[in-house]
Amino acid sequence: MTPFAVSVRDLAVQYGRRLVFQGVSFDIGTGQSLGVLGPNGSGKTTLLRTLAGCILPSAGDIRIAGLTPRDALLRTGVAYFAGDATLPGSVRASRWGSLGNGDIVTADRRPIRALSRGTRQLLGLRTVLGRQPLGLIVLDEPWEALDPDAARWLSAMLETKRDRGAALVLSSHRLHDLAGFCDAYLFLLPHSARLVHAHDISPASPVTAAQLAEVFDKLRGGVMALRAVS
Amino acid sequence: MARSFSPLRFFRIVPTQPALISWTFAVVVVVGAAAILREPSRSAGAMVPILLLQLFGASSGLEVPARRGHYDLLLTSGHRRTWMALVHWASSIAPGAASWLVLAAVEAAMDYHNVRLLSFGTIAAMGLVSTLPWAITVRLPRFSGGIGWLLALAISTSVLSFDVAANPSIDGLAEWLWSAWGFLVYPAGLVGRELSLHQGLIAAPGLAIAAGAMVAACRWVSRASLPLEAAQ
Repeated sequence: MTPFAVSVRDLAVQYGRRLVFQGVSFDIGTGQSLGVLGPNGSGKTTLLRTLAGCILPSAGDIRIAGLTPRDALLRTGVAYFAGDATLPGSVRASRWGSLGNGDIVTADRRPIRALSRGTRQLLGLRTVLGRQPLGLIVLDEPWEALDPDAARWLSAMLETKRDRGAALVLSSHRLHDLAGFCDAYLFLLPHSARLVHAHDISPASPVTAAQLAEVFDKLRGGVMALRAVS
Repeated sequence: MARSFSPLRFFRIVPTQPALISWTFAVVVVVGAAAILREPSRSAGAMVPILLLQLFGASSGLEVPARRGHYDLLLTSGHRRTWMALVHWASSIAPGAASWLVLAAVEAAMDYHNVRLLSFGTIAAMGLVSTLPWAITVRLPRFSGGIGWLLALAISTSVLSFDVAANPSIDGLAEWLWSAWGFLVYPAGLVGRELSLHQGLIAAPGLAIAAGAMVAACRWVSRASLPLEAAQ
């Protein structure tokens, strides 16, 4: 049996009086990946930030290698990247890149704000993924703005990290980004969440974007129907 | 563990304050050093702009850049948050502290036996402007502490004469409280003064407030939830 790298039970996060999500539960084993899908505003970014220890949950429990997220940060390697918009624009790209494992990520000395969006995204990803060792990788919309070469590099890098035992949590609002890549999919819908394993969607072959869309529509229909009844 | 860099290195690469502040400090140091070289007895006057700038330099603000995600790499790097907060504070006050020490060195070079810029009053004033604004601004936008201090000074001038700040007194409770308030809103009044332990009571309330605010700010940083601005 695969030991669980991440175990989440009845997680809820609230901003003031606004409930972002509740009742989120899932397990990810070492060397497994979870795709988090959902419409804009469903709480994908908040969920990932909570796993990375940046947000304290309002209710529920998160264990990463048996530790709380904050303790896990101190004792295991956690990589987290929330997109190019989170990079400080005034910092030189080459200097930011040196915060990875110390290797040269880029020799570009321009300020980050002067780079194209895809180049910024790649810089951020290469910097966080360069850190060693990594037990958990949490990436928010990682394929966003990447060109085909960079997207292929990212997919290959994530597969390598997963093969070495890292657990992956990846979010996207575009189904084709995650189709076929993850062992399980968490569908975040307004005020509800549903975990579906890849083998339940497609037992014999990799999950396709069309299959994910079908599941998504069914779940969303269920939620709509419940709302209509209530 | 994946600690590939220290908070010190992070804040060297991601400065806590704009480069303009550091350049302004450099200009003020050059002008101040020239004034001290010309007339060493005016060292206290050369220190006033440093204190004023330090109020704004220390008001660097931590929550706003953290909620923009600029510190995500550090927050997930495996270092304790209290340590990150202290390094953020240290890097915010470093240019001002360095400027002060340069002026003190210039003064010492001119008159080794009477270095007013290393007097108790100067150290207390520098300590106050290097801590309280940082602590107040931790959850606020950059420069809020400095702007708030200017407001407090402007309001205080309507009820408090500059004499109280410039000539503090502890002859009675009311005088002590006024003098303590005077130090809090106009710490430059104590620059260059060698205070006795008894006179040091003037600075004690302000420094105690600053220490309490620092502890509260560090505790907040160590426990805070930092959602992304755009995710709320």
